[in-house]
Amino acid sequence: MNATAMAQPGSQTVQTEKPGGTRIELAGCTKTFPDGTRALLPFDLTINGGETLVLLGPSGCGKTTILRLIAGLEFPDAGGKITFGADDVTSQSIEKRRVGMVFQSYALFPNMTVAENVAYGLKVQKVERRERDERVRAMLEMMHIDMLADRRIDQLSGGQRQRVALARAIALRPRVLLLDEPLTALDAKLRVTLRTEINSLLRKLGITAIYVTHDQEEAMALGDRIVVMQKGAIAQIGTPREIYRAPRSPFVADFVGASNRLDGRIEQNSLVLGDIKIGLEQIGHAVAGGPNGHHDGNAGQGVADVYFRADGLAICTPDQGQMRGRVEAISYLGEKSRLTVSGIGESAITLDVDPDFQIAIGDDIHCRFNPERLTVFGRYPDARNAAQTM
Amino acid sequence: MRRGWPFYAQLGLTVLLCLFIVVPIVMSALAGVTVNVFKGLSSGLTLRWIFEVWELYAQSILLSLWLAVACLVVTTLAGVPLAYVLVRRPNRLTRMFEEILTLPVAIPGLALALALLITYGGFGSFRSSWVFILIGHVLFTMPFMVRSVAAVMSAMDMKTLEEGAASLGAGFWHRFLHVIVPNAMPGILAGALMVVTLSIGEFNLTWMLHTPLTKTLPVGLADSYASMRLEIGSAYTLIFFVLIMPLLIAMQMLANPGKKRRAASQPAEDE
Repeated sequence: MNATAMAQPGSQTVQTEKPGGTRIELAGCTKTFPDGTRALLPFDLTINGGETLVLLGPSGCGKTTILRLIAGLEFPDAGGKITFGADDVTSQSIEKRRVGMVFQSYALFPNMTVAENVAYGLKVQKVERRERDERVRAMLEMMHIDMLADRRIDQLSGGQRQRVALARAIALRPRVLLLDEPLTALDAKLRVTLRTEINSLLRKLGITAIYVTHDQEEAMALGDRIVVMQKGAIAQIGTPREIYRAPRSPFVADFVGASNRLDGRIEQNSLVLGDIKIGLEQIGHAVAGGPNGHHDGNAGQGVADVYFRADGLAICTPDQGQMRGRVEAISYLGEKSRLTVSGIGESAITLDVDPDFQIAIGDDIHCRFNPERLTVFGRYPDARNAAQTM
Repeated sequence: MRRGWPFYAQLGLTVLLCLFIVVPIVMSALAGVTVNVFKGLSSGLTLRWIFEVWELYAQSILLSLWLAVACLVVTTLAGVPLAYVLVRRPNRLTRMFEEILTLPVAIPGLALALALLITYGGFGSFRSSWVFILIGHVLFTMPFMVRSVAAVMSAMDMKTLEEGAASLGAGFWHRFLHVIVPNAMPGILAGALMVVTLSIGEFNLTWMLHTPLTKTLPVGLADSYASMRLEIGSAYTLIFFVLIMPLLIAMQMLANPGKKRRAASQPAEDE
């Protein structure tokens, strides 16, 4: 019980407060849709002023619902509370909340030029003409789209559109910037470029930002902290490093790219995989207590799920080898080659080798574990025991 | 490439069909400006019949134009918000409403007129005013406005546009007037032309509803065919044609909006 309590999100708060940003708090928020589906289970979340928080998860996990609650596009069930700094905004509509929003589909107004789009919010707020023009010019310059000011929206490329959308959202100096999968509609190369731009923009502005994505790489690159969501609940909150290196559950491990999985056992503080035995003290990250387990360093006894990335296994000479497998597929990725290997676990395992390494499909290979790259989740031996600890 | 006989056969057939349609129009138009139809063109051309039509039926023609404008105002003011609600809140109630709204198109105008007469015929001054006909026209043309606007609205992701505008502080009316309506303009224009054209040309319903003092252009047309000489009827047709033709052409041009615009402005490539 005690260990579980320690693993509550609140205990992992990282000091990321920056001057100028608005601190956002959600307390006891749940969301039930009219048809009865529960999009969000009760949760608390604090976003520090100036922090960039990424909500990461598969579609339908509730990440967008959280964003929409903060925006004021949805309202939490009775009992939930949302505050911006000292300001209780729970029942405030989006028009009053002073939030900036960037949508996946851009949501630019096709009837207006680029400059008019950026000026729209300022016009609504009745900002005086001279100041308005000045601020629009500054925003366009900041996003490097000043030469597009008089273009129509349908004359812009996807990347340019998203820059306009960002300029429009920050022109009003919102209390929080909300980005709903802003890069999903763009192609891979542009996604990386724009991601870097957004990153430096957020640092420069020092604005509180909440970024929704299903892309693990995007989350890592942008987030001060990442919230991994699963089925309407928070699976883990932490810095990108924590999420990547110390996932708290198999779901998180799998979602952030540790896609290789083996069945093992834990016996006397060792991980046992077939006839291989590795001391738990060598294991990079071990969690006990089942899918919602806790960090207590002691993985106990019983069944274990072992997760690792392509760097968790390395090819070696036959005499050093712990396992033997057969190469099923090879993808050349430039700086490395990725092998799909069968015969090690129930399903195929991927591992990376030097691209110049001479190997062909059908070859037998020997490999050994890289213990500090393994993540082990111990499971209690029987369900009754597990249920008691939940 | 040389064109073989099938091409010329098809061309011939097309030209024949076009003539089949166009010749009666030309004949009818010519009849309206011929001194004596029975003697043919040799009797000479004249504008006399046109002036006579104007003298006899100016009131009907003006009433028709007035009705068309009034009908347009009503269908726009009511139809655009109605289309908005139908697209924005698709549920059983709104779908049912849409069906009911479309009924006047399916039901013969005569039946619709009869229903109006049975219900409101007793209100003397209302019955004999142009407003009575206006109501018939609005009932008949409303679905065309609503459908046309709703089609454009459902293609434009209104929900996200509105959410974007709301996040910038815009209240409902600001969003509606500055974002929704301008972007629905192609639909509104197409609907408007449809409404005006239909209202000017409507006969069935109007014929049932009219009184001697509230005759419209097509009702007058029927009247002239029945009781005037052929030249006058033809001249009347010519006037009708001149009124309605520009509307039809404008409608055709609006039917493929943005074609020219899109060709002129290719979206930029991402660098």
